[in-house]
Amino acid sequence: MDKTIEELHELLKTKQITSKELIVESLKKSHEVQEAYNAFVTILEEAEETTITDNLLSGIPFGIKDNYSTKDILSTGSSNTLKDYVPFFNATAVQKLIDAGAVPVNKTVLDEFGMGGTGTTGHTGIVKNPWDPTRMTAGSSAGSACAVAAGVYPYALGSDTGDSIRKPAAYCGIVGYKPTYGMISRYGLFPFASSLDHCGVLTRSVTDAAIVVDTMKGIDEHDMTSWDSSHIHLYENRNKEVKNMKLCYIKELCDIEFYENPTEELKMHLENFKEKLELCKNLGMEVEEVSVNQKLLDTLPSVYVAISCAEATSNMSNLTGIIFGPRGEGKNVTEMMMDHRTKGFSPLIKRRFIIGSYILQKENQERYFKNAGRVRRLLVDTWKKLYESYDAVILPVGSGPAKHLDGSKDILTKDTAALEEHLQIGNFGGFPSITIPDGFINGLPVALNITGNCYEDEKILSIAHALEQAMPYKNQIAKEVR
Amino acid sequence: MPKFTSERVDDLAAKLLIGLSPEENQMVLDEFSIIDENLGKVEDFPNIKKVEPMTHCLDNFTCTLREDKIEASIPIEDALKNCDSVEGREIEVPKVVGGEN
Amino acid sequence: MANFITKIGLEMHCEMSKTNSKVFSSAKNEYCEIPNSNIRPLDMGFPGTLPVVNKEAVRLSLMASIILHCRQPEYMYFERKNYYYPDMPKNYQITQNPPEDCVGMEGFLDVEREDGSQFRVGIDNIHLEEDAASLDHYYDTSCIDYNRAGVPLLELVTNPDIHSANDAVTFLEQMRSIYQYANISEADSKKGQIRCDVNVSIMDANLDEENPENWGTKVEIKNINSFGGVRDAINYEIKRQSELKSLGRYNEVEQETRRWDEESGTTIRMRSKVDAIDYKYFVDPNIPKFKIESSWLEEIKKSIPLLPLERKAKYIQEYGLSAYDAKVIVKEREYAEYFETCLEIGMDAKTSANWLTTQILGEINRINISIKDFYLTPKLLKQIIDAIKNGTISSKQAKEIFYQALEEQKEPSSYINSDMAQISDKTELENMITKILEENPQQVTEYKNGKDNLFDYFVGQVMKNTHGKANPVITKEILKDKLDKKR
Repeated sequence: MDKTIEELHELLKTKQITSKELIVESLKKSHEVQEAYNAFVTILEEAEETTITDNLLSGIPFGIKDNYSTKDILSTGSSNTLKDYVPFFNATAVQKLIDAGAVPVNKTVLDEFGMGGTGTTGHTGIVKNPWDPTRMTAGSSAGSACAVAAGVYPYALGSDTGDSIRKPAAYCGIVGYKPTYGMISRYGLFPFASSLDHCGVLTRSVTDAAIVVDTMKGIDEHDMTSWDSSHIHLYENRNKEVKNMKLCYIKELCDIEFYENPTEELKMHLENFKEKLELCKNLGMEVEEVSVNQKLLDTLPSVYVAISCAEATSNMSNLTGIIFGPRGEGKNVTEMMMDHRTKGFSPLIKRRFIIGSYILQKENQERYFKNAGRVRRLLVDTWKKLYESYDAVILPVGSGPAKHLDGSKDILTKDTAALEEHLQIGNFGGFPSITIPDGFINGLPVALNITGNCYEDEKILSIAHALEQAMPYKNQIAKEVR
Repeated sequence: MPKFTSERVDDLAAKLLIGLSPEENQMVLDEFSIIDENLGKVEDFPNIKKVEPMTHCLDNFTCTLREDKIEASIPIEDALKNCDSVEGREIEVPKVVGGEN
Repeated sequence: MANFITKIGLEMHCEMSKTNSKVFSSAKNEYCEIPNSNIRPLDMGFPGTLPVVNKEAVRLSLMASIILHCRQPEYMYFERKNYYYPDMPKNYQITQNPPEDCVGMEGFLDVEREDGSQFRVGIDNIHLEEDAASLDHYYDTSCIDYNRAGVPLLELVTNPDIHSANDAVTFLEQMRSIYQYANISEADSKKGQIRCDVNVSIMDANLDEENPENWGTKVEIKNINSFGGVRDAINYEIKRQSELKSLGRYNEVEQETRRWDEESGTTIRMRSKVDAIDYKYFVDPNIPKFKIESSWLEEIKKSIPLLPLERKAKYIQEYGLSAYDAKVIVKEREYAEYFETCLEIGMDAKTSANWLTTQILGEINRINISIKDFYLTPKLLKQIIDAIKNGTISSKQAKEIFYQALEEQKEPSSYINSDMAQISDKTELENMITKILEENPQQVTEYKNGKDNLFDYFVGQVMKNTHGKANPVITKEILKDKLDKKR
């Protein structure tokens, strides 16, 4: 199970191994990983082998984040509000994989409904980092990142509203890819913030990410925001020439001078990133430093919170325990719904709902919600402007390796906020965005991210693929470093 | 503009059908003060009011409206299987009195 | 109370019953007795479901917008209205949020009263939204039926331009008829397809009505399910407000929302304006903004059928109907369709109109059925009319056959045979009349002396002799001829 999709397919095709054997191995590994890191809500003991076809995914196990609706399989969103919810329909993306013969073997833990970046707020408990169980996986696709990194299967589905695929991928030393908004249908994905939510995948290689998204993508009559991408062939075109491609990075985020009291980890992380820029040049790409409005970057985290909380409070108002989910106690309907929601949601989510609701109040919309929408546009326009001159923006992910679960050893400074949160711009503008591992700090993986213009998924995958080939971190399996 | 107060937090929580502890109430105010400060700065951005707020992820959707075709109703067993209180073909709740709208 | 002007604004919600599927889901759009039998996952708000806009619902709503002389948006989009209620599975309603762009903005409708006078009502907006589920109430429980959840709903909001309960109802009736003619909705209030909110205020008659500062306190009355209820609620509210104002207690009239209680015939306070709900509207990100192409609008405009007032004018001018008949016929689309079918199959316009407005409407109102279910279709009616025209039956016989055919549900032609034929033979009638005149010398003398009304007596005698089968026209001709010779 530590092999790539192409390798596994070859083994299956030549009958050196069977789908059944892969499933057994994956389930066994699932239990080990569950024991050690608590990555799963459900392990599908009954998973059945499928016929091996020419489809690269046939017969191969994979994981599904538990905020995807899966037919006849518990789908909780890692929330007590849905702790017993068994949907009767599959999310479009899941259905497409099943149609391709892929075999779901577990449902992975997330931060409750994707609203969190730590992997610690799921209703089944904290997900630990397979490189160092005292550290976070980050989130919200925590279980998916952990399981792929630990070698349970070659890929798992994720969803990404702020950086929920790309950040945990970075902390776990794997690849995280969210394609252009609407390339994969969101039908059946439990919504967090509909204008920011993306489906995507976590893998151990760019090629695997290309294979999986090729299968998941496509226009869907159940999602008006999906579009026809039949002309895009990620796997076929991942080897495209990158020579003469132009990349840029943002000075305000990458220059150590902009940080008042940089940690050693931050220094190493940025230095490592600069080395990788040299690597890009060696591959024939041009790399330039650009400067963007610092004030705009500084408001980024608050803009994200404002938009995502506002949409979330509305999106999750269907969670009342009346039609599905455990019925609350009370004398009347209102009391029942209140009991369900009060008991069902974690404190973090409740606070965010209230903030979102306040922001949407008629008298507050202008100052908060509308202004957030305006800054969103300014940021997106800034990036779009960059794409007029550059093929992609390349940036380091986060301010270093995975943070500690107890937080005590992490020095969080206010001025790293934009560095921690810049991936959200990819969600603001629906840009295709991929994170790949780019080194180690103190034995723990760190990563860089490549984000391109909408619909240019093939391009950013080619760049990521070329860079991946030039670095020794492809297909790495997590091994505990302490 | 009225300030965000602990009373308003409780009022909003009640409308969202959520119960909050006093500690949680205070945390809302603390978290919000950061957002307030940050987004407050936006007011000073030049020409900010002329920017059309972004409401959708993409500006150039080419979306087609759905043709007016009927799909079969979902089986009643599926519709009700996750509900804890069912009466016949319907979802049952304590008697709803009064109207919102 | 004549010293007050009443200002009335209406909100009319009408379910669009003429689409096949719901507005954002592909479930069937049809009332169904069996609960939860027209549902798709979205209609119950299952996690991960998404709205997909029905093109036909948009088309029909744009048609309504055009009919109401509204401005259509360049781009269409929807907003979420957020509040918790058990009949709303998502706990938000997908709707539009005027004065933000919606299906139609700033239009008007010219309305015609019973007496033919007209008045204009300004339309603030018309917007497209989804209906909620319905609750069935039992002793101590309520059950939720999602069949209605997601049914397309048009909400029309007028300016406060209406001055009386009667005008308000006239407006609503005309709107209903427009919805029917344009094939947007059956607009059947018996099926709960129409629901109204009204707002009523009064002001001193001697002040300038054009100046909003002179307007009184606006009271809103919600959820009235019949036009009769609208009339009663408005009249009740005018009386309540006028009395308070006359007594110098106008400060007791509060800007508030009340509801109409049919049983007691009164309005009852629900909530004050101060407690107005903040619905936290925002644009639904799941539905992209889509361009309303002007070519599409043109196409829709061309497809609008002739509406009641235009149709009425046409009936009068082109077919020579009386204003009364024309008005009665256009009142319901189904009547007009019946009438036009008659014309299509070659019947005379005036004759068809006569039969329709008297016998047929009389009969369907008596037995309370729709004209669509009326046994005598235009085709069957034609059998009777043709028989009159070619003299096979008298108009008296025609009526008898009409009722007999209805009673026995048999084709009128089966009652029409040669035996019933009128006696139109001139010689036969002449002989008979000569004989009758001879037998009644007294009456002939009196007629000669100027007693003109005895003419009818002679006609009666002929009919008596022929059991009513004598052709009245020929009979009268011969009689006149013979009697005049004797004068």
